[in-house]
Amino acid sequence: MWREPDRPSSRDRKQKEGPTKGSPLNDRPLGYTSMEKDITIRIEAPADIVLLRPLDILVRNLVEQLLRTSHDKLLDELELAFNEAYTNIYRHAYPSEDKGKISLEIRIGPNELEFRFEDEGLNFDPERVAPPDFENPGEGGLGVWIIRQVMDEYDYSSDDKGRNILRLIKRFPAAE
Amino acid sequence: MEVQEKDGITTITTDERLDAVVAPQLKDMVKKLAEEQKMKLIIDLAQTRFIDSSGCGALVASLRALLKNNGDMKIARPSPQAKTLFQLTRLHRVFEIFDDVEGARSSFKS
Repeated sequence: MWREPDRPSSRDRKQKEGPTKGSPLNDRPLGYTSMEKDITIRIEAPADIVLLRPLDILVRNLVEQLLRTSHDKLLDELELAFNEAYTNIYRHAYPSEDKGKISLEIRIGPNELEFRFEDEGLNFDPERVAPPDFENPGEGGLGVWIIRQVMDEYDYSSDDKGRNILRLIKRFPAAE
Repeated sequence: MEVQEKDGITTITTDERLDAVVAPQLKDMVKKLAEEQKMKLIIDLAQTRFIDSSGCGALVASLRALLKNNGDMKIARPSPQAKTLFQLTRLHRVFEIFDDVEGARSSFKS
């Protein structure tokens, strides 16, 4: 059923030249510039679906510009993880029309990137999310599983003030 | 999203993103096609740079709606990101995926 493409893809572009650390990621040149120190960006926004795309694009652009990378796989994975986490909060933490807020922190450091989402909606137990049924795929429920596949750390907790905190970490390959 | 019909085959060309924003629209569109007995559908992903689990869910729902009515759905021209996600979620075993629209069209005739 699955076929490999015959045509060259417009997205199969070459890695940009740059002061790369030269670490391979899936046998491709990584081509990123390591940050010298952490940069943290904080955003507070209503958990509105109209913000999903603008924030998603902002995150992708931040990583692309700050790490000076055009590594599509890394950018795709970070964009996907961010998208799934935001969608889950919009959909499950605030299931009613009355949407609360999302506090978002993006930290890009020399060796890793961290997304920190905070909401004041309904909490959930990620350990109780059913694993995907690959033989009989459903129409939803894959978000948490996908995030776990593409990120290195997934940590969800709720505090006694009713805040739910999701921390996702993606580590970059070690510099030479 | 654009809908075109030619020789009894409907093609839906999705936009740049197939995510939670548009997934409900795609499901509604395909449900309406099934009600109109338009049972041969191609989803052309050529313009879709980004797809997420909501987009995948809408594609699964669309395939189910058509199969239930003896129809079928093919997927054409997925981006590298879409291919990677289909493989990760094993949906490449569920969907019939083609590198071009003509291949998808021909498969309805065979």
